[in-house]
Amino acid sequence: MDLPGTIVFTGEQSRRGYRINRMAMSLTDAANRASFVADEAGYMRGMGMDDDEIGMVGRRDWHGMLQHGGSIYLLIKIAGALGVSIQEVGRHTSGRAEGH
Amino acid sequence: MARIIGGIGSSHAPSIGTAWDKGPQREDRWAPVFDGYLPAKHWVEAQRPDLLVIFYNDHMNRFFFDAYPTIALGVGEVHKQADEGWGKRKLPDLRGDPDFAWHLARSLVEQEFDPTICQEMSVDHGILSVLPLFGDAAMTLPVVPIAINVIQHPLPTARRLFRLGEAVRHAIESYKQDKRVLVMGTGGLSHQLHGERYGFFDPDWDNRFMDLLESEPETLAALPHQDWMERGGTEGVEMIIWLAMRAAIGTQVRRVHRNYAVPTTTGLGLLALESL
Repeated sequence: MDLPGTIVFTGEQSRRGYRINRMAMSLTDAANRASFVADEAGYMRGMGMDDDEIGMVGRRDWHGMLQHGGSIYLLIKIAGALGVSIQEVGRHTSGRAEGH
Repeated sequence: MARIIGGIGSSHAPSIGTAWDKGPQREDRWAPVFDGYLPAKHWVEAQRPDLLVIFYNDHMNRFFFDAYPTIALGVGEVHKQADEGWGKRKLPDLRGDPDFAWHLARSLVEQEFDPTICQEMSVDHGILSVLPLFGDAAMTLPVVPIAINVIQHPLPTARRLFRLGEAVRHAIESYKQDKRVLVMGTGGLSHQLHGERYGFFDPDWDNRFMDLLESEPETLAALPHQDWMERGGTEGVEMIIWLAMRAAIGTQVRRVHRNYAVPTTTGLGLLALESL
């Protein structure tokens, strides 16, 4: 499937993004959200994410996370925990944000 | 015997719930959406359904990619609200109907559909952004949720969902208890949440889709995913869920109500069809 301007969430993407998506899924629990916000890197390391992945979240590199297999439905849970709106995520992934 | 009274197709979105929960402080731009539900709500009230069967999709709230079902069926006594990552809304838990839901499970498997059977199935805005718009009474009706994978490819085809709807119709019509069953399908309409096409939607396609869903659903069932995503955006592929509802309510239908409004950056559709 080939769609310009689009990342199709295939099995390959899901496999690549598994760790980042699994961490995001854990944020559906309020206690986990509090732990994540209190110590982002420590929480992500505990969830088995590697340094590249932790760096992308630290830089709020939504475009990078998406390329790396993050599901948009899970990335917005990370964004929500960090107080970032889906519109901001969208502007960034579409290349319409400043500095991207 | 159980009888199908008709179907509702509706968009779902977290923003609908957020806007609705403002109550008396609801913003004017949402009036064309919420007022647009009233004729459908009144029709549903007059039809006095006993049971709702709802096709929808979960948005990584109940299900995760550790084990991701293509079709999942909720057979529990209660369907709790999932925390989507920002806390829960003030809504009651939904009631289930285990007797009917297990009948549906047996019937679907006999008809060679194999849903993941879930005794615990928390539900998200795929159901809960829509159902409150049909009133407090609708929120107390027993619900049998059927979640469809429209997120992780490979997705079921539009035709597969059309056939699933036909199988659900057969299951309802073979249920011995007297029940008046309303079928809902939620999703879409056209939208894209990421990439260069972020914010894309197409009112012409949305309205053409609702035309065809009513009169020529088989034409829609023949469309491959690539077409759905080109015309309606990657996440707009959710629109195929409406086909399951459409097939479930039978070939002969009468349109009760239709609405289309654009409150923010995406069009929201509503279609109420009565089975004849």
